Amino acid sequence: MTGTVTGGWEFVAAAYGITIFVVGFYTVRAILGYRAALRKVSPTSGETS
Amino acid sequence: MTGISEVSFAAAETEDQPRIRRGPLPYILLAVGTLVILTGAWIGLFVAPAETFQGNTQRIMYIHVPTAWAAMLALMFAFVSSFAYLFNGKWAWDARLEASIEIGTLLALLLCIQGSIWAKPTWGVWWDWDPRLTTSAVMVFAFAGILALRKFVEEPGRRATWSAVATIVAFIDVPVVYFSVNWWNSLHQTQSTVGNIAPAFRVPLYTSAIGFVILLTGLIMLRARTSEIRLSEEIAPPLEPVASVGGIRS
Repeated sequence: MTGTVTGGWEFVAAAYGITIFVVGFYTVRAILGYRAALRKVSPTSGETS
Repeated sequence: MTGISEVSFAAAETEDQPRIRRGPLPYILLAVGTLVILTGAWIGLFVAPAETFQGNTQRIMYIHVPTAWAAMLALMFAFVSSFAYLFNGKWAWDARLEASIEIGTLLALLLCIQGSIWAKPTWGVWWDWDPRLTTSAVMVFAFAGILALRKFVEEPGRRATWSAVATIVAFIDVPVVYFSVNWWNSLHQTQSTVGNIAPAFRVPLYTSAIGFVILLTGLIMLRARTSEIRLSEEIAPPLEPVASVGGIRS
């Protein structure tokens, strides 16, 4: 059919892959950053006090 | 009339101190948000039909549109936080401002990358300086500039005030991004609403969007907690060890 985009899974994979990488990396960084900051101010206290 | 500078340093004059917040809620939101996004992505990739003209590339919509909504929500929260800080001077709002700008900017950048990947097979180019794309790029650079501003200003009160005012100014671009496709002739399609999305596409789109909002809430909470802890250290740094006197350390 004229005007139809065929295939395209490589673009879909790239978009989803980059999203998972960026959001996943930031989420892990946010968790580690929070835990490190918490340890710094109260090294002996538990996190869920 | 009370000037901004008078209001902004209210935090220093009141007894407000940054708090150290704990509790599992952000972690729960992150876990639930991730699961919901993955469910939406799964339906979008493997259950929903391919679009008639764009084929499989249209499946990018199920993450591109929720990313856009989440980015705009984060920046809207930054705008609200700016006003809240300027009016009540509480450090918690400055922490929320920093968190929401950082996450909103990251999502806006991700939005441009996803859009670029979608543009290549459908428009034939990676990028075009059309109104939607141009205003989105301005949004990324404006808020990235505010993050840079926060790095350069060391005094917490001044940093909070300047970044709150800059956020209010930069936020002018956010509704312009949203309405740009209505106001000008744009290569970009108009907003995705219930009225212009086929029912088969709504389930993965809205599932993914709900997941993004839950994840966004968890991330802002967690990142704001970190900012507040750092603020507490800046405002009341840990006591230095007492110097030894006569060989006896007290």
